[in-house]
Amino acid sequence: MDITFKNVNYIYQQNSPFAHKAIDDLSFHIPSGSFVAIIGHTGSGKSTLIQHLNGLVVPSEGEVRVGDFLLTKDKKPKNMKELRSRIGVVFQYPEHQLFEETVEKDIAFGPTNFHVDAEEIKRRIHEIVPLVGLSSDFLKRSPFDLSGGQMRRVAIAGVLAVRPDVLVLDEPTAGLDPRGQKEIMHMFYSMHKQQNLTTILVTHSMEDALKYADHVIILNKGTKYMEGRPEEVFIQKEALHRVQLDVPEVIQFLDQFEKKFNQPIPFMRQSIVDIAKSIRNVVKGDASK
Amino acid sequence: MSSKLVEFKDVSFRYGEEQPWVLKNCSFEIFENEWLAIIGHNGSGKSTIAKLMNGLLFPQEGEIIINGKQVNEANIWDIRKDVGMVFQNPDNQFVGTTVQDDVAFGMENRGIPRDEMIRRIDHTLAAVNMQDYRFTEPHRLSGGQKQRVAIASVLAIFPQVLILDEATAMLDPKGRKEIMQTVSNVQTSQKLSLITITHDLQEVVQADRVIVMNAGEIWEEAKPRDIFGKKDALRKIGLDVPFIGILADELKHAGIAISHEPLNHEELLEDLWTLHLKT
Repeated sequence: MDITFKNVNYIYQQNSPFAHKAIDDLSFHIPSGSFVAIIGHTGSGKSTLIQHLNGLVVPSEGEVRVGDFLLTKDKKPKNMKELRSRIGVVFQYPEHQLFEETVEKDIAFGPTNFHVDAEEIKRRIHEIVPLVGLSSDFLKRSPFDLSGGQMRRVAIAGVLAVRPDVLVLDEPTAGLDPRGQKEIMHMFYSMHKQQNLTTILVTHSMEDALKYADHVIILNKGTKYMEGRPEEVFIQKEALHRVQLDVPEVIQFLDQFEKKFNQPIPFMRQSIVDIAKSIRNVVKGDASK
Repeated sequence: MSSKLVEFKDVSFRYGEEQPWVLKNCSFEIFENEWLAIIGHNGSGKSTIAKLMNGLLFPQEGEIIINGKQVNEANIWDIRKDVGMVFQNPDNQFVGTTVQDDVAFGMENRGIPRDEMIRRIDHTLAAVNMQDYRFTEPHRLSGGQKQRVAIASVLAIFPQVLILDEATAMLDPKGRKEIMQTVSNVQTSQKLSLITITHDLQEVVQADRVIVMNAGEIWEEAKPRDIFGKKDALRKIGLDVPFIGILADELKHAGIAISHEPLNHEELLEDLWTLHLKT
C-alpha cells in the first residue's frame, strides 16, 4: 500500500494551555513494497507519526493517505476496522500486551476480532509460529512462562496473524540480546521480501537502517529533516550531528581513515570485505591499482 | 594487589526444586576499586549474579562473601548498604516527585541527617552531571537522564560496590553514551568497585576485567582485549562481535599484518599507519 503524508500537523491537547505540536508540516511519500526506516532522537515525533498510519490519531491539519484510505481532521474512513486489519503495528515492548491464558489464544485474539473464521486462524497460527522462531509445543503454554524474547515473538505472531499489508515496527529489537536482535530483524526482512509487504521501521539503530532499509526519513522536531537512500543520508555527518544523531560505525571509521591517510574511501554500501581491500590498497601504497 | 571485596565460592542457584540450575558452580572474586564487566546473552545467568550479590536471591549451594560478611537473611540490610544497584528500566526506579527528592529517598531510609543529605545531593548530582535538574520532575527527563539520577541516588549512600544491571539496554544511543561516560567518570573519581552487566561487547572495553557467562557457567574470565580476540567463540554463545573486530579480521584476510587485536578505531588506525610508514 502506498502511504502519503501531505502537510500534516498534529497538535496534542489542542486549544488547551498544554497544546503541543508533535508533527509540524510533514510531507512524504512511501511507495508500496518499500522498506523505510524512520529515525530521530527521542521526542522527534516518530511515535506520533506511526499512530497516524492506522488512524489511532488523525491529523489536526493536512491529510494522510494509506492505500485508498484517506484520513483528515474531518474525514475519518468509515471502514476504520478494515484499515486496521491491513496495517499491522508492532509497538515498543509488544510483550507487555500479552494477556491470554495460552500462546495460541493470544495469537488468535487479533484475527478473531477481525472476524477471521476459526479454521483459518488455526491454519495461520501453524504457518506463523515457525516463522517467528517458535515451535508448536509453545501453543498450549502460558505466554507468561516464556522468556522475554519468546514473549516478544508471540506478540509479533499475533500481529502477523491478521495478515497485514503494511508492517509498522516501533523499535522491535529494544532490550533483546544481540542474537535475539539479529534473528528478529532477519525474520522481518525475509517476511518483507516474501510477502511483498510495505515495512516501516522506527529505530535508533543506524546500523539496522543501513542494513535493511531502502529509504530513510530523518525526523527532527516533528518535521522531515532529511530523506533519501541510506548511503546518501548517512554520509552527511555534520547534518546528522546537528540533530543529535550519529553516523553508522563503518562510515565513522572511513571518515577517520580519510583524515589520517588523506585518501578517501567513498562509502557505497559495499561489503566489509571490499572495504578491507580498499584499505589494504591505501595502506600498501597502491591505491591506484 | 588490593583487597577482595566480593567473593563467590562455588555458587549454584535455581528458582525451584524442579527447575534447571540458572547458575552452576560459579567462583570468582572482585577487588577494591576494580571495574568488572559481566557479559552474556539473555538467560546466561548474569542478572542472577547481581541479585545474589545484594540478597534479592540466596544461593542453594556455595557462599557469597561481601566485605568480609557472608550474605544471608540476617545481614541483608547491612549488605545492601554496601551494594548499590541500578536496573534496566529507567521508569521503574523513580520514587521521588523531583530529582532531588529521588536522590534523598535512599538516604532518608538510612536516617542520614538533613545537612549531610543536602551536601550529598549536591555532590552526587554533580558527579553524574545532573546538578541543573534538582527540581525537575522525573517525567520531563530523558531515559539517559533518569538513569543518571538513579546512579546518583545509589552513590548518595556511599556503596562499596555499584552494580549496573543492563542499565543502558533501554536507552537510545545518546543515552547509552551518557551513561558510559558517567560510569567511567564515577569509577575514576570515587573509591568503589564497579560491576557492569551487559550483552553489548562495546561496553566492556573500559573494564579492568571481563567475565563471560554462558548457560549459567563462567565461560571465560580475562582482560577485554583477550576477550575480543575470541570472535568465533563469542558468536557461538550468542554475542555480537564489534565492527572494529570484524574489520580487523577482514584486513588480516586481505593480507594486512595487524599487530594486535584493536579495541577501538584509534588503535586500528594507528596500527595501519605504522604499517603504511613501513611500506
